Amino acid sequence: MRAWINGIGWVTPAGLGRGRQAHGQQPLITGELQIPTRKQVFAEIDRRFGRLDDFSRIGLAAATFCLRDAGAEDWQEKRPIGIVATSRYGCLQTDLDYLQTMLPQQGLMASPNLFAYTLPNSFLGDIALRFGLTGNGMIVNRRDPSRLTALKLGLEELAWSAQSGVLAGIIDLNPPPELVTPDELPGSLFLLLEKETRVGSESYGELWLATDGLRFDGQWVEDLLQLVAACLKKRSPVDGQSG
Amino acid sequence: MKQVFISKVACATALGLGPDRLWQGLLAGECGIRTLQRFSCENYLSTIAGCIEELELSEGGSRLDPLLELIAAQLGEVPQDARLLVASTKGELDRLESAYRAGETVPGDLLFEPLLAKISQRFGLRDQGMNINAACASSTVALARGAALIANGQAESVLVYAADLVSEYVYSGFSALQALSDTAAKPFDTLRQGLNLGEAGVALLLQSEERALRQAQSPLACIAGWGAANDAHHVTAPARDGSGLILACQAALQQAGIETQQVAAINAHGTATLYNDAMELTAFNRLFALSLPPLHGIKGSIGHCLGPAGGLEALVGCYALAQQLIPGTVGCTEPEEAGQGRISCAPQKIAGEYLLSTNSGFGGVNAALILQRVAL
Repeated sequence: MRAWINGIGWVTPAGLGRGRQAHGQQPLITGELQIPTRKQVFAEIDRRFGRLDDFSRIGLAAATFCLRDAGAEDWQEKRPIGIVATSRYGCLQTDLDYLQTMLPQQGLMASPNLFAYTLPNSFLGDIALRFGLTGNGMIVNRRDPSRLTALKLGLEELAWSAQSGVLAGIIDLNPPPELVTPDELPGSLFLLLEKETRVGSESYGELWLATDGLRFDGQWVEDLLQLVAACLKKRSPVDGQSG
Repeated sequence: MKQVFISKVACATALGLGPDRLWQGLLAGECGIRTLQRFSCENYLSTIAGCIEELELSEGGSRLDPLLELIAAQLGEVPQDARLLVASTKGELDRLESAYRAGETVPGDLLFEPLLAKISQRFGLRDQGMNINAACASSTVALARGAALIANGQAESVLVYAADLVSEYVYSGFSALQALSDTAAKPFDTLRQGLNLGEAGVALLLQSEERALRQAQSPLACIAGWGAANDAHHVTAPARDGSGLILACQAALQQAGIETQQVAAINAHGTATLYNDAMELTAFNRLFALSLPPLHGIKGSIGHCLGPAGGLEALVGCYALAQQLIPGTVGCTEPEEAGQGRISCAPQKIAGEYLLSTNSGFGGVNAALILQRVAL
């Protein structure tokens, strides 16, 4: 099972960014996440963005930057690209926000807009409709210390279906203080895995799912941080190799 | 590619406990939708839902706990090496709601990781599993993934376990979205006015042929094909042209290597909302052209059970293929014109080896399974 990594984008405590403009700096760090504004993500007015919960905003922004990084943001016809992301907390903060609208008056003021985003996969629909992505979409909850689950699932999806690509990544807001663990990496980061490289945009390299783990350009991958670092090193403008 | 068998099933719904009870209730046209006692519905569009009577709530616990026991007791032994795929949209949401009402902090063990560990332990599995969230198509997507794992030689057994509850949280949300009907739902009926919520647990053990035969299981059916696609249209409303559902069905048909004429029946999502049912009929009529097979939905009997919906419908599909009969669509007395002659409130005989089962949901999700009859 193989795929090309054609784009990387993120929203993390390091800020908004994408691989080809990262100067090699690791975006997966601990800290407080800043929720991006519409202007930071889209140049044009976007009414939908303002209605999104924070969880969906970081997911949509990271996916947007990933597709932009790959040169795949613009489209004419819908594309068979799927979306898979792992999340520990899911849309817990949205759940709590919704409860605040529901409880005070026994449901009279329950927010339909918030409720629509109390499923963690809802924002996948926002990504899909904005960028015309018709592939499979799911959010996966599991213990995932390496943060590689979505990439493995994405590679399997590509191998076992007619999809041409998968946006695979991670997404979590800063959790409530009582749930914080030492290894939190809040934010969202997506990689665009595709069966083919893109014309006019050099790939980061090839990702391969072997029986005993992931390899990137032939090297074993232990976790997502290592993989992202390796990708950014290859395409850092400092090396004069930026795509 | 290896064949994928559904070798064991278990369920609990508003019609009672066990697959046989569900099947008999559906054939008899029973409706498990009742007046809700669990919370006050004074401010909501409806006062009814399909609840499981046996779910007692212990202090600080979740109703998912007794539901798990009901399912595990039915299912019996599961191979220790089975992979675990859970499909729950909201997990132990009732505990979060209780804690929040009491002014407590978020319970530390509320996340999916402890829930997965609990389920894995109860079935005696080595795999800690993963929860798949694809809205109302969650268990269908989980079944598709489980089937793909076995078909591609990545697993010999996969346990798909799905469960969701009727909670005030979810009920108020669907009420706020104006999606609830205040009377028993009427899927595919011209007078449908919305859905009834339900709750359920369902487990399906998928196995390779070799493993099923070695363990002397009598398979109920095969999963011959699967597909999933996004509408890329709207977050809560389906694409009216059914384009996403058509893509998902086409992928499933292709995977199964069959033509539409070979599909003997359809188990549709059939929520009884205006737009969902219209979208489905549009999609199926486009997909099957002039040969739409008999079609039914079960949500008029048990309500819309969210995450487990597709798993329950696959289970019912197994029975339908084995008995060459689909249950009536409870509540549908005046079918939409696009479904006339193919949808009935009475059971319909079918003839064939394959059944299409589909689900759609928030986020533009669509998923489809092709079930294949096995020779008994």
